[in-house]
Parts: sequence; structure tokens; C-alpha cells
Amino acid sequence: MGEANVWVVVVNIVLATLLSLGGAPILVWMERRVAGLIQDRLGPNRCHIGGIRLFGLVQSVADMLKLVFKEDFHPRHVKQNLLYTLAPAIVFACAFLTFMVMPLADTLVLGDKSYIMQALPIEFGLLWFLAFAGLSVYGILLGGWASNNKYSLLGALRASAQVVSYEAAMTLSLVSMLIVYGTVHLSDIAAFQGKLLFGVLPAWGVVLQPLAAFIFIVTAFAETNRAPFDMAEGESEIVGGFHTEYSAMRFGLFFVGEYIAMCASSAIIITLFFGGYQIPWASTAFLKAHITEVLGVIMVLLPLLCWLFIGWMRRQNRWINPSDPRAKETAVLAKVFIGMTVVLELGLAALVFGGMGEDGVSISVAALQVLTFALKLYAMNFVYIWVRWTLPRFRYDHLQMLSWKVLLPLALANVVVTALVVVGMGW
Amino acid sequence: MVMKPTKQIKRHGSTWKEKLFLPALFKGLGITFGHFWDNITRSKRIKTLQYPEEQPADITPRYRGVHRLTQREDGSARCVACFMCATACPAECIFIVAKEREDGVDEKEPERFEIDLLECVFCGGCVEACPCDAIRMDTGIFSVVAESREAFVRTKETLLATPKGV
Repeated sequence: MGEANVWVVVVNIVLATLLSLGGAPILVWMERRVAGLIQDRLGPNRCHIGGIRLFGLVQSVADMLKLVFKEDFHPRHVKQNLLYTLAPAIVFACAFLTFMVMPLADTLVLGDKSYIMQALPIEFGLLWFLAFAGLSVYGILLGGWASNNKYSLLGALRASAQVVSYEAAMTLSLVSMLIVYGTVHLSDIAAFQGKLLFGVLPAWGVVLQPLAAFIFIVTAFAETNRAPFDMAEGESEIVGGFHTEYSAMRFGLFFVGEYIAMCASSAIIITLFFGGYQIPWASTAFLKAHITEVLGVIMVLLPLLCWLFIGWMRRQNRWINPSDPRAKETAVLAKVFIGMTVVLELGLAALVFGGMGEDGVSISVAALQVLTFALKLYAMNFVYIWVRWTLPRFRYDHLQMLSWKVLLPLALANVVVTALVVVGMGW
Repeated sequence: MVMKPTKQIKRHGSTWKEKLFLPALFKGLGITFGHFWDNITRSKRIKTLQYPEEQPADITPRYRGVHRLTQREDGSARCVACFMCATACPAECIFIVAKEREDGVDEKEPERFEIDLLECVFCGGCVEACPCDAIRMDTGIFSVVAESREAFVRTKETLLATPKGV
């Protein structure tokens, strides 16, 4: 256990926590704004701290505060107090632990030591994901049952039946991926996808196994209990489903847990099918060899992006009453963004012209890959939100029909075909 | 009697393409993304009113706002305290105390005329019922804020002083 070892582990844990737990308020905000914009509304944009609205992001902070200070109402008819309290914690912890095995960057080599860039550096990440993703439904089940309320119980029943049927198809679609990758270690899986297929296409899971990718994405939507598969909540027919009897921060844990679960499934989807941390057409070896050129390109692109973003902000981010502090927000934010760009440019310039050691190159490449991972993660989260605000909820029998009659046979056929191809062609 | 031919409704969802569900799914995703993109790049096309700063400009003359009592040329109330409005009111929110009118313009006038806005359902029944055009809902006031329940009771003086809005 050297000094660097501890720091790499700490950085990994902090990064994974930031991306999952720290991402929750951002996702809540994203969900509301994207929903608003899709439906030709504005979404939350008024809440501010000293005039700074951050496009409505402050609303999430206000909501969190509201949940914390709300009365923790405990209905008298709830008899199973322990389970009632435990349920949101289980959902939250499981979602959180699922995220912890996602590879954030390629194996980091410092000196003669190498570190797996996962918050939990374990080599059976895929099994870990399956275990905890399946376990999180226990939280919903316990919450629904302990609430001692028929709507909650119905929600819990729906959730359990749904997870049972979708887990089958999900695991089968994963089997075909395992045949292709030949490992359950998520870092190896992500590293595998850095290769090029026929020298042109990145060998991402979605290119190798489009059907498995499709089945997995559909079942992952069902696994996170999000629309169009949010039968467990079903607010139009069973009030709030499993969380009807929860209020204040107990509900908050369910709520945040749902977003972290969404983050975790996005992470596993991009790790398995969209190359994980890999930048397309730029493998780790390529990045290490051409790090100065890559950083140079970023140095050119960064001011351009900043300029485009500030232009967009000046056009869109306005306030009618000029005496309100919110009217000055755009000017303040523009200065902040310009300042941030200048600092980043100086840092990059120091790296490019000051030269980097062997370790410096490794760390820069890892940082680039973490950034790529975060970008892909949020792109996938956007897809989740986008789908939620496009599709209506499935009817319950349609949901089961889709799982058992469509996804499961397709996944089975895919396993057989994949196995035949892999064995037959000796890959 | 000749039966009209019933209209044949085409049943959807039976063709292979419709059962596949995916073309419709991607079409729907395309539509929502189109809206998202249009709105994020040109947010001015969104019709949302930034309410307290922007006030609605589409309040029509027939909009039923907060009530007012109309005045005669000499400034006194048109109301003759006939209780037609209070009788017509389904929410029973109008309270009238009548008294004899001494100046000879009319026989009666209200001593008190109060409308409890917390009970009012803004149906406009009082306006319809009034034989003297004494009560109207054309103030255009759509938002009433107060700090106590009592403050929501509009007295005769307030009602007379409220101007025509639209």
C-alpha cells in the first residue's frame, strides 16, 4: 500500500459518488427541464440564490431542503416499523452500490503499479450489478408491504412480478454479451471495446450485438421502474404505488434512489454497449502516444464551445424586469464561464508546453476517459428522460406479454446464434 | 325507416408493422426530440407566461373577474337592494341589508352589500339576475390576495370603488 495507491482509491470513490449521488439533483433538474421543453413549457427556472438560477438547477437544492425539513409523517396503521424504515434505505443503498463497480477509466499505470479505475476494484462487476439491481426491488417490495395499504401492496406486487419477468430476458441478453467478451470483469469489457472492427468501426457492444443491446436497454428501463414500465408507481391508478405512505426524507431516499438507479443502469449500458470510457477511434495506447496533440485540439475547441455556450445563454437566458437580481445572471455567468475557460486553458498549456512525465501522461489520459464516461453517462440519462416523456405507460398484461413472448425468445435465439458464430468461426 | 349506413372505423394495430411497435416508437421519439430542440434553441416560441412579471393580455370583456357595483350619474349605487342576486347566488355569498332611500331617486338602497370572495364560485349568476345592471363582473381582476379571511369580504364601498377593467 503505497501513498499513490490510497489516493487513486480515494479519487475513484469520490468520482463515483459524484457521478451517482452528486448527479441526482442534476438529474432531477434535467428531468424537469427536458420534460418542460418536450411539452413546450419552460420547466423550473425561477428559483435563485442571489440572482443565480443556473438555468433552474437551484430548484433541486430548494426541493432537497424542503424534503429535509418536512414533517416525517408516520401513519399509525404502519405496524412493521423496522421494515418500513429499512425499505427506502435498501433501495438507495442498492442503487448506490450498483454504480460503484463501473470502470471510470482504463487501468491506470503509475510507475510499475497498475490500478483498476473502479470505486470497488472487483473483478466480477457484472454479477455485482445483477445482484444489486435485483436486490433493489426488495426495498420496493418491503416498502409496499410494510405500508399496510392496498395500493402500496399492489405497487409492490407489480414491481416484483415485473422484475422477475424482465430479469430473465436481461440476464439472457447478457449471456450473449459474455460469450462475446469472455469475461465478467467490467474493466476488461470496456477495454475490449477500444478495438476497431474491420479497422473502421469501434468494436462497441452495440455494433457487435445490436439485438442484445436493444433487449438489454428495454429490460434496464423496466429494471429501474421508469416509464414506460413504471407500473410500481402508476400514479394514475394506484395513487403512488409503493411510496404512497412515505413522506419527507423517507420519500426523498426513494426518489434519489430512483435517479441513482437510473444513473447506474445508464452506466452499465454504456459500459457494455457504448464503449464505456472509450473515446471512439482513440484507444488508450493511441491517446498515450498522442497526448500533446489531443490536448492541443481540446485547447482549440474549449474557447469555441465557451463562446457558443455564452451566445446561446445571452439569447435564451433572460429576465423581463431589469431591476431583479436574476436579470444580471447571464452577465455574471458569462464572466464565470470565461474565467473557467481561461484557467483550464492555462492548465492545459502548462501540460502541453511544460511536458509531462510518464505518470502525467497516464493521469491525463485517465482524466480524459473519466470525462468521456461522464458525457456518455449523461447522454444515456437524457435518453432515459426522453423516452419517459415520449411513451405512455404500458398496460400490465402488455408488459408481461412483451417480456415473455417477445424479449425472452429473442434473447434465447440471440444466445444460440452468438454461441454458434463464436464457436463455429473460432473467434 | 331507412337506417343510415354506420361509419366503419378502421382498427389499428393489426398489421405487422404496427405490431412491431418500433417504427411508431422511433417516430414518437423523433417528434419529442424535435420539440425539445426547437425549444432549447429558440425558447421564445414557448407560450409560457412569466407570470408575476408578465400579466395576461387576453382577458376578454366576457371574463368573469371580481365583482363591482355600478354607479348612477350622481355617484350613488344603482343597486335597489331587491335581493335578486342574493337569491340567484348558488354559493350564498352575497349579504345585503336594505334600507329606505331618502333622496327620492329610488325607493330602496343597500345599507350593507357584501360579497365573500372565499365562498363565491364566480358563476356570474348575480350579474344575470340583476334587473338594474347594478352588479357586474367586468373588472378583469383574476387574482385576489389577502392575509385574513375577513379581508376577502368585499364591502359595498370597495365594490363601488372598483373600476371597470376590460
